[in-house]
Amino acid sequence: MHVLSKEDFSEFINSLIAETSLNVVGVKSKGEKFAFGPLESANQLRLDYDVTILPPKKYFFPQRETLVTYDVSSGYQSKSLADVKPTIIVGAHPYDIMAMLHMDEIFRETKSDPNYLTRRNSSVIIGVNIQNMSESCFASSMGCATIDYGYDLMLTDLGDKYAIDVGSHKGADLLNKYSKNVKKALARDIQSVGKKKQKIMNKTQQEFGFSSELIPEMLGKFYEKTSFWEDHSEECLSCGSCVLVCPTCYCFDVMDNPDLSLKTGERGRTWDGCLLEDFAKISSGENFRNTKSARYRHRYFKKGKYLFDRFGFVSCVGCGRCSSNCLPDIANPVNLFNDMYDESLKIGIQIDPATIPDIKIKTGDTIDYAPKIATIVKKVPMTANETMFELKLDDGSELGHQPGQFVQVSVFGVGEAPFGVSSSPTKKDTFELCIRKLGNVTSKIHTLNEEDKVGIRGPFGNGFNAELLKGKDLLFVAGGLGIVPLRSLFNYVLDNRNDYGRVILLYGCKEPRELLFGDEILSLADRDDVEFKSTVDRCPENEVWNSNVGVITTLIPQVDFDPQKTYAIVCGPPIMYKFVIRDLKSHNVPDDHIIVSLERRMKCGVGKCGHCQINQLYVCKDGPVFNYSKIKGIPEAL
Amino acid sequence: MKPKVAFFDFAGCEGDQLQIANLEEEILDLLGQVEVVSFREVMKEHSDDYDIAFIEGSCTRLQDEERLKEIRKNASLVVAIGSCATIGGINSLKNYQNMDDVKKTVYGEKASLFDTYPARPIDAVIPVDAYVHGCPMTKDEFLHVVKSLLLGKKPEIPNYPVCVECKKNENVCAFERGEFCVGPITRAGCNSCCVNEGTKCWGCRGMVDNPNENSQKEVLVKYGLSVDDAIGKFKLYFGWQGKKK
Ligand SMILES: Cc1cc2nc3c(=O)[nH]c(=O)nc-3n(C[C@H](O)[C@H](O)[C@H](O)COP(=O)(O)OP(=O)(O)OC[C@H]3O[C@@H](n4cnc5c(N)ncnc54)[C@H](O)[C@@H]3O)c2cc1C
Ligand code: SF4
Ligand code: SF4
Ligand code: SF4
Ligand code: SF4
Ligand code: SF4
Ligand code: FES
Repeated sequence: MHVLSKEDFSEFINSLIAETSLNVVGVKSKGEKFAFGPLESANQLRLDYDVTILPPKKYFFPQRETLVTYDVSSGYQSKSLADVKPTIIVGAHPYDIMAMLHMDEIFRETKSDPNYLTRRNSSVIIGVNIQNMSESCFASSMGCATIDYGYDLMLTDLGDKYAIDVGSHKGADLLNKYSKNVKKALARDIQSVGKKKQKIMNKTQQEFGFSSELIPEMLGKFYEKTSFWEDHSEECLSCGSCVLVCPTCYCFDVMDNPDLSLKTGERGRTWDGCLLEDFAKISSGENFRNTKSARYRHRYFKKGKYLFDRFGFVSCVGCGRCSSNCLPDIANPVNLFNDMYDESLKIGIQIDPATIPDIKIKTGDTIDYAPKIATIVKKVPMTANETMFELKLDDGSELGHQPGQFVQVSVFGVGEAPFGVSSSPTKKDTFELCIRKLGNVTSKIHTLNEEDKVGIRGPFGNGFNAELLKGKDLLFVAGGLGIVPLRSLFNYVLDNRNDYGRVILLYGCKEPRELLFGDEILSLADRDDVEFKSTVDRCPENEVWNSNVGVITTLIPQVDFDPQKTYAIVCGPPIMYKFVIRDLKSHNVPDDHIIVSLERRMKCGVGKCGHCQINQLYVCKDGPVFNYSKIKGIPEAL
Repeated sequence: MKPKVAFFDFAGCEGDQLQIANLEEEILDLLGQVEVVSFREVMKEHSDDYDIAFIEGSCTRLQDEERLKEIRKNASLVVAIGSCATIGGINSLKNYQNMDDVKKTVYGEKASLFDTYPARPIDAVIPVDAYVHGCPMTKDEFLHVVKSLLLGKKPEIPNYPVCVECKKNENVCAFERGEFCVGPITRAGCNSCCVNEGTKCWGCRGMVDNPNENSQKEVLVKYGLSVDDAIGKFKLYFGWQGKKK
């Protein structure tokens, strides 16, 4: 440990500021409050602050940022990160440093986010031990009031000087290069730092009436207690303040901003939050978390359980920002968990501490947010609202997808939306999408023609395991647009027909004129190696239909299959799954023989933006294809 | 072919058309994309051949309805601009008063000759395709909407409250400064501009789709407003929307 007089410390900071290659930011006052901002002089620093309005994560994950730029004539280009200056953050409190460590895990897991990590890796964190604790802080209850790692330098105020703990080589180099008169700390300095830290650790403004280790387990037992969540969220304004100010929230929205020429522009991302009403809403109007209480509950589960199960930490550092920013005062985790604990005592629920899960964090490629360019080589209208597009990547590469995977399709200036690939991987040069006209991206795609360009990212997600299905009887159950992703597996199976047992397709749509892939599908009737049945919900008088009328489940009793040998592959509108699965179960199909493909609102497609989440799972990353046995116990799934 | 656009004004202050006239440089770019055929603020000519109609002001008289229906017939896209047109705006303040009194204050003795009825937004009379909220609307949002329409896109207008933008802008919350703010139920999209300037949100963009009005009132009361004053906070801009419920 070192010490530096306050005067020399100011000089140290001023010489950092003078260095134009560095971006020096620190805690300053803002009205009666505090905020991190660019430093022009060390005098502006307010290291005696209690809490800043926003956490310092804004320097790595800014409120708004450009991900890619585009030019209709040359395509999409990732925003260059070459000019990112190292940011020196002066005055981060220990809980905010802990929060950065949480965010690091989230942004590097599975696929790493280049924008976050480039900024984060080049940053230098100069922390400071808490001198004044905000009224709503409970960092000590979360073990985050002090910290022994995660910083480059850590300051403790010792009256006329700062004790400086060096936490990294980066920190040591910085101190070496830019400061004068650094002295080795004396034993009594080290002692007073220890005492101060001890004092902070023992101090808390808000207290849990139980051990905070119980949180994940306790939450697990309260998911279904609907009235508990309704009572607590009654006054929720759906204003999102609790998540927007949180140092460990990372959800974002993506939007396109065309320039006035309409030929160039950018695609940016901005903070979003699961408390906002439309966070999980899709364009057909379905809102997968359509009540205040479901959204309110999701936040607590996200922090207290889902991230714990995924990373082994409760992702709340006790900064208290959520509670002080919630106007109806319902976002305070301490109050909520205390109420929950009292309730559990009252109704006699036994809660044991959670065992730390076995964590295997995978890391992989860096995300490329810039889509590749593809050309529409064929456009075939199928129904009034659905059109098939055959696409070819301009760089000549193959898409290389698994059946069941999806791609993100971009239309210049309009946006990006996910679509299941409908063609079989055996078709190599081109791939097919079948797109229903619903909102902005889909309507615009419908106006494009052969030779027009779109952007493609992907393929993404987990598809069907065609290997595992080998030798099995396959029962495809498709409702409406659900035929699209199933078709890629179906055609793959037909192309490798000898590898599979019986192949049965049950396909239903609302009315005869909504039948997709009409000719292709109806010609299946001529094949003797495929059993095919179709149905419509209703047949209006002016249309012709010679087959079954009734919902899709009315077809299931019409086929005879051996549930032990058969795998059912199901895709359709959200409401269909419950009924189909119920009927399959009544035919004794085992859970792990049911495979579904799910749809949720998507933005990033790569497990970061949070939109597609169903409880702890991400549809874009863990799905869209799921084995029913894996999602059976997941309440938000079906 | 460039789309032809026309501007119309009803009961309002024309502040929004001024905003457009003030677009300066940007308007030059914009004019490259569209042809303005009718715009009282800056030109004399007028034409009934247009694709996009921008309508400012609220509908306050039965006679206005005819004119609006005519515009709807001519235009393929109708865009309401400014609070008066999008939500009834400040004009709907009068909805809280007795209509006869309003007429008397405005027209004196001749009141009975004039015919005025509760002020309403344009979409209470004809279908509207897009909205540029705000009192006055900002040019950034106007451009956002126009660009979207030219791209064949429904303009994305937030359905979350002003607090979202206010937090991103790291403002000190009005309530913490001893002021009262209706940002928690007001539709965002203005980048919380008033709070950024150190004041508070009056609600000029109207309410989000599902505002929790009870909770907002409780918050106002909790922070020291009387119940009547809390209800009063809603009148300034939420007149029409509040009544609809
Ligand atoms: C894995 C997966 C596969 C899909 N496959 C197909 C397909 O093969 N054919 C097809 O027609 N549709 C498919 N969809 C649905 C399709 O993504 C939506 O219809 C589309 O996103 C609507 O976009 P929009 O811009 O036209 O609508 P808007 O209402 O303007 O939506 C704006 C944005 O919200 C998001 N969003 C809205 N609805 C959805 C949604 N249902 N799913 C995901 N994100 C959404 C998108 O980012 C979209 O750009 C699939 C969805 C998923 C998740
Ligand atoms: S819990 Fe509070 S801060 Fe969060 S959305 Fe609801 S009202 Fe807003
Ligand atoms: S949940 Fe609340 S207390 Fe916990 S880290 Fe987030 S803002 Fe801070
Ligand atoms: S889903 Fe999690 S990270 Fe995203 S906003 Fe909600 S609580 Fe925050
Ligand atoms: S000042 Fe108004 S808009 Fe901003 S956070 Fe506070 S209540 Fe919301
Ligand atoms: S902050 Fe409120 S009053 Fe100001 S422009 Fe936005 S919506 Fe209108
Ligand atoms: S996390 Fe962004 S779409 Fe799944």
